[in-house]
Amino acid sequence: MNEERRRVLQMLADGKITAEEAERLLSAMEGGLAEAPAALAAAPKKARYLRVLVDADDPHQGPVKVNVRVPMQLLRAGMRLGALIPGPAREQVNAAMRENGVPFDINQIKPENLEEIVDQLNELTVDVDQERAKVRVFCE
Amino acid sequence: MIPLFATVRVETPRARIGFWAPLFLLWLLLAPAAVVLSPLLIVMCLAWRVDPARAAGALAGVLCGLSGVRVEVESPGTRVQVRIV
Repeated sequence: MNEERRRVLQMLADGKITAEEAERLLSAMEGGLAEAPAALAAAPKKARYLRVLVDADDPHQGPVKVNVRVPMQLLRAGMRLGALIPGPAREQVNAAMRENGVPFDINQIKPENLEEIVDQLNELTVDVDQERAKVRVFCE
Repeated sequence: MIPLFATVRVETPRARIGFWAPLFLLWLLLAPAAVVLSPLLIVMCLAWRVDPARAAGALAGVLCGLSGVRVEVESPGTRVQVRIV
């Protein structure tokens, strides 16, 4: 097994790339394409931080800027902690969310799904652009 | 790794304050309390049918995850910056 092939398999084992991406890279290597190393280098990196940027123009205080950086590790830990919420409290959370128009069942958050949920955040980008405020949420 | 320091910087038109808060001292102070309270916490976990080991692991994860948090707020004349390292 050559080194590049081993690297792709290692990245797949580490969860850094999906099975489809690994397949694409391996088939590119087997095809002897010159871009295989470039494709390997361009494989998506795991985001380390969730960034929230707020740029608001308060009529009383003037322009206000908020810049928050939250490590993804903290999000993961928070979700693991959330998965430990006792049963009765979960029902209360579900009821409160339903009351606020969010029909979400917190029981669906299982430890085995946490990695997948956090990984999906990698591609998250939220841009809110209003007259007096701009909010940007993204991962980096 | 558990965060060891927090840096706080406050800038106003009148003053500029910046300091390092040694969080490791806080952990040293809290560690004996955690040891004393651990039997109670274990009983509470068992009462709520939560695995104490998983709860401890999740809490440790939150503590370790704090490292790298950065918050900056800036308004006219005032700037506050908090970093946990």
